[in-house]
Formats: sequence, C-alpha cells, structure tokens
Amino acid sequence: MSRSRSPSPARSKAGWSTPSLTSLASQSDTSSPNSGISTPSSVGSSGISWETARAKSDETEKLESEGFYLDKDDVGRGKYKGSSRRLGRQPLGFLRKLLRRRTLRVLTTLLILGTIGLLFFWTSVADSYRRSLLGGGPKFVVIVGSNTEGGVMALKGAREWSIERNSIWNKQQYAKRWGYELEVVNMMAQKRYSHEWREGWEKADLIRNAMDKYPDAEWFWWLDLNTWIMESSYSLQDHIFSRLDAISYTDISTYNPANIGPPPFSYPPVKKPAADLILSQDCGGFNLGSFFIRRSAWAGRLLDVWWDPVVYEQKHTEWEHNEQDALEYLYEKHPWIRNGVAFLPQRFINSFPPGACGDGEDPKIHYQEDDHDFVVNMAGCQFDRDCLSEMKRFSGQGTQPPSSEALYE
Amino acid sequence: MQFALPPRGGTLPLHSGRSRLSYQRRRQFKVAAVLGLAVISLFLIFSYFRSPSIISPIPAGTSGIIIVTVLDRAALSEKYIHRIKKNREDYAKQHGYTNFFADVSDYESTLDNAPRSWAMIPALRHAMTLHPHSAYFYHLSPHALIMEPFKSLESHLLDKNRLESLMLKNVPVMPPNSVVKTFSHLTSKDIELVITIDDADLNTGSFVIRQGDFANFFLDVWFDPLYRNYNFVKAETHALGHIVQWHPTVLARLALVPQRTINAYSKDSPGVSADGIYRNGDFVIRFHGCESDPVRSCDKEMELYYDLWEKKVDDE
Repeated sequence: MSRSRSPSPARSKAGWSTPSLTSLASQSDTSSPNSGISTPSSVGSSGISWETARAKSDETEKLESEGFYLDKDDVGRGKYKGSSRRLGRQPLGFLRKLLRRRTLRVLTTLLILGTIGLLFFWTSVADSYRRSLLGGGPKFVVIVGSNTEGGVMALKGAREWSIERNSIWNKQQYAKRWGYELEVVNMMAQKRYSHEWREGWEKADLIRNAMDKYPDAEWFWWLDLNTWIMESSYSLQDHIFSRLDAISYTDISTYNPANIGPPPFSYPPVKKPAADLILSQDCGGFNLGSFFIRRSAWAGRLLDVWWDPVVYEQKHTEWEHNEQDALEYLYEKHPWIRNGVAFLPQRFINSFPPGACGDGEDPKIHYQEDDHDFVVNMAGCQFDRDCLSEMKRFSGQGTQPPSSEALYE
Repeated sequence: MQFALPPRGGTLPLHSGRSRLSYQRRRQFKVAAVLGLAVISLFLIFSYFRSPSIISPIPAGTSGIIIVTVLDRAALSEKYIHRIKKNREDYAKQHGYTNFFADVSDYESTLDNAPRSWAMIPALRHAMTLHPHSAYFYHLSPHALIMEPFKSLESHLLDKNRLESLMLKNVPVMPPNSVVKTFSHLTSKDIELVITIDDADLNTGSFVIRQGDFANFFLDVWFDPLYRNYNFVKAETHALGHIVQWHPTVLARLALVPQRTINAYSKDSPGVSADGIYRNGDFVIRFHGCESDPVRSCDKEMELYYDLWEKKVDDE
C-alpha cells in the first residue's frame, strides 16, 4: 500500500507545535507497535486534534507495513507475528478495515460534524421531528379565542391589547416547541342571524372552521385568552393523552358540583366511552376555558346542535354562561352526549388563581406552584379582578415573555 | 471428454465453495422465515379468538326489523286496536319481523305534559332497548294499514339499490319550497332515516330509522324538553322540521322518498299532495288526521281497507 500523503513537518515557527509527531515517530521505530496504539496519551495537552488524527493514521500505516495486521490471504495459515493473539484474529481484521486511513478520516470527520450538529442543531432536529407526523405534533391544534367581544360591548384599551399580545405569545411559544398548530380565532361579538348575538357559542363554529383548516389534526385544544401555559415543557401527549384512561373520569357522580341529574333515559351502557370531549369542572360545574375536542362524528353532532335557535330563544337570558350552560343542559338531557365526554381533574388543564372559586386554598382547584401545574385559567378576572396583573404574576412564575416589562407597557 | 479450454483454475473451487456457503445460508433463511411465519400466524390466530369483539352475541331469532306502533288505548276502541294489531302481526309473520306495540300511557311521565303525539319517541327508544340487535325500526301510525302483505320492507324500501333509486335528492326538505334542500351527494349507505313529506310537513306517521349512534343522537335531540315546551303548532312534526332545517348532521343521514312509497294518504286526509293519494298496490294507507277531525271516523275509514287486507292475506 502506498502512502498518499507524507506526514506534515513540524512547524514550530508558526507558533504551534506537534509534539505528538515526534514522539510517534520514535515509537514507530520500536518493535512494539502495540504500545503505539494503546498510548494515545502521547498526544500532548497542546496537541491539535487534526494533526493528531493524521498522525494516528500514519502510525496505523506503519503498523500495517510491519505486517502487524494480517492480509486476507494469511487468514487461517497462522503466519503472523504475535501468535498469542489468535483469539483476537477476527476483531482485529475488522479493526484493520475500520482503521484504514481513509475510513478513519471519514469517520472522524463524521463524528466531529455529527457532534457539532447535535450540539448546535439539536433543537431544530427535535423541532422538525415533533412537527412531523412521526412526532405527532400535527395531530394537535391549539385554538386561542382572541379579541373577545372585539370592543363591541366595552372599549378595548391598552391593557386589553397587552393581555391579548402576551397570551398569544405564550401559546405561540408552546405550540412552536411541540410542533402543534396554533389557530388564533376572532371572538368579536357579532350578529349571527338577524337578532342573535353569538356570545360564546361561536366557539362551536370556530372549532368547526379549525377542523376544516387542519384536516390532518385529530385533537383541538380550546384556550380562552385569559389563560397562561405555565409549563411549556409538558407535551400534550405526555401530560394527558398517553395516560388519559388513568387520569380521567367519565362518571359525573365522581364530582358533580352543578348537580347534574341522571339522564331521562339510559342507553345500554357503552363499555368504554370514547373520549371525544375532554374538559374539567370547577367549583360551579363545567368549565370551557380549556378543553379538548376530537375530530369525530360525535363531535360534529355536538358542534351542530350546541346552538339551536329554539333553545336559545327560551334560555339565553337564564344561561349566564351561555355555551357552557348549554353544554351542561345537553349533558343532562341528552344521554348520547355522555358517551363522548371525559373529565379531567381541574388542575391537569385548568388551574384557577386565587379569586376564582375561593381564595386559593382548594388543592382540587387552585394553582399550586410546587406541583408545577400545566395551565392557569384566570377565569372571571374581567369581572372584579385585574386580568393584566394576574397574567403578569403568572407569566413571572412560569414561561416568561421576552422583556416582559416592555411587552406589558 | 475434452474441453477446448481448460477450466480456469483457482476460481472454480472458490466459486463452488462460496455457493455452497450461500446455499446453506439460504436454507437457514428459509427455515427462519417459515418459523417466523408460523409464530406470527399462531399469534394472530390466538389474538383473533381471544378478542371478544369478534364474537357477536346476537341471539338466534333476532329479526332485523321491528315495527313500532304506539296505540292510545284511551282514545281507540278495542275493535280498532285489535284490527291494527292483527294487520301488523299478519304482515310481520310473512317476513319474520317483530312487532312492538306500546301505549301512550306508558310514557306519560316522561312527556312532561307535552302533547301525547310525542310518545312515539320514547316508544322508539324503548323498542331499541328491548331489541338491541335489530337494525331497523319502522314507526307506523296507529291510523294506518299495511296493504301489501307480500312486499318486504327490504325489497320495497331498504335494499341498497332500491333505496338509491327512491331517494329524492336536492329537493326542498319542507314543502312546498324550503331553502334547505336534501343533500345531493348522499348515497344509500349514508342513510339512517327514511321519511316522506306530504303537502305541508315532514310526516312522522311512517318512517324507518336505523339503530345506532345516529339514532341515539337524533332521538335525544328530537325529544329535547325545550322543544316539547315550545308549543310548536304541530308538536313533534314541527320540531322535526325545525331540526332538519337547522342541523345538517341530521340532514346528512336523511333520505326523502316519494310519499306513496310508505305513506300514501286516504283521499279524505288533509294535506294530501297530488301524488300522495293511495292507489291500489301501494304499501301503506294512512287515514291521516282522522283522529282529530270530528267529522271523520277512523273506524269507518279503515273498515273497507281492512276487509281488503284480510282478503289478500286469506287468499295466500
């Protein structure tokens, strides 16, 4: 085998030395090549890695030329130096291939490049994996209800704009991290038909639109504007869906603050209800500030009948919480609804701050910093509390917006 | 024998050695493949037999079609009820169907003072609970007679191709010209509710519904307490018209068929459309509205047709 390159000379003038070369040169003259391999430490602390690698490959060639490595034809004849290494014959043959000069160089380069690549591009590699179908990111769409009422019912001031900006930023960061789709929807109050305001029911229409827009997505996560994702390191898959059966309950009698009665009829029991709608209950009953709905025939039907003019006409003055009360009503009166609904304990997706449902002492309801709750829903902050300062407080505890002060101004 | 050229020494034995080796390899591969296949198929077979969903516990003798008739004993004479029952029973016997006769009074507590005509919805649900493995439920008003004993519901209405040919597509779902029209892209496999319209409404006196998730959903929505309280002029009939026009998930499972297919009216009935009057050979005759019109008498109107029916059955 011919040498394709001569070892580079020491360039002491250039200000850097290659102590390894000299030491290796002296070693290669000895008849114990073995020690040459096992003493990589001969590379001085100031050794430059590329030179070291080259030197190592040169050394390997030397070893080869000395006949340390066996030629193919020699295998089985037992004519080689160091006969005590009979057992190591085949691994050595493999090593020889590996350590062949070119291969070694390529491998080293690849290894270095790979390490650098992993170090520098790990996030983007992980991101693109999560964004791919394999990572499951596109299965989820985060819907944020923004521009609530759009200034129609009350003037929209700087504080409202600030809440909107920050809340959306928070969801953007989360969705980006896990490769989910983010859909910011406009909740501006408007007349749907000649005399009805849509109030909260437009959620149904907006979710349906999102389902059309993202035909590959399976789960749609509705988040009100007054929410803050505290732990963006939780993926929906790990936090909820991989253990849904273990953490959810489908029997309303488990926790029934709204005193929802038994259904007027019952169908033969469904063995395992498919969870098509996952929500949580607060101290007053259903809470739709943070809930999941799955693309399915069941969901299509619910979204279709959620708002009905005849029902609306009779109940809209009575139902303070609009679509939330309507859902409770449907759940109670329509047995088919029960077959698709699963509940999560509130703090899995919808922790409350103090001020909502009490002063913050209920471990079933209120945000616990030590437990690293996933999401805070500042429910009802628009009535007699301060949404902006609550959001400031929670964004300071969890995922922080960049230069939060500037954003909040 | 002599060869023109000597065999190329060296290469030949090497070659043969190699091929023997790969031959052995191939045999090993084959054995491994066969073993692997066997293991996989055994696993599949076992999992097949172990999975409970494969074994469907449909009891023998379950009929595919249940005829649901809601009688109002408070308003109907014994003789009349007897004849209606006899008519349905004779028909069911011909085709192996099962009858479900209910009485309005059974459901009065669930109606919450709504008009008694709403009772058909809990009755249908009751029938579905009692016959969980039957596919179709045919609701027929007590003021109607089946007139063709030998026409099965399958061949006359529900057969895939037959239904396809009967479905009225892209026609107003509420007569005479509602904005909402039946979907034109539907095929018979989408259909879970087969119903007709008369001159004024979707008519609930004769329709077929298929048991399943859709039926649960649809019957629950239809029976909504707020619909029952709403004082629709025609109670459940108008509620149905409302649902169909406002909720496309219902419309997407609904087939309109020509009225006379399952719902021909006697000539005295109000709201009879030009093509809706009973003619000889039609499947069903309805004495629509005979119970609410003091001038008419259901017993009398039925008399003639009941005799005709008896003759047809006896001739067999």
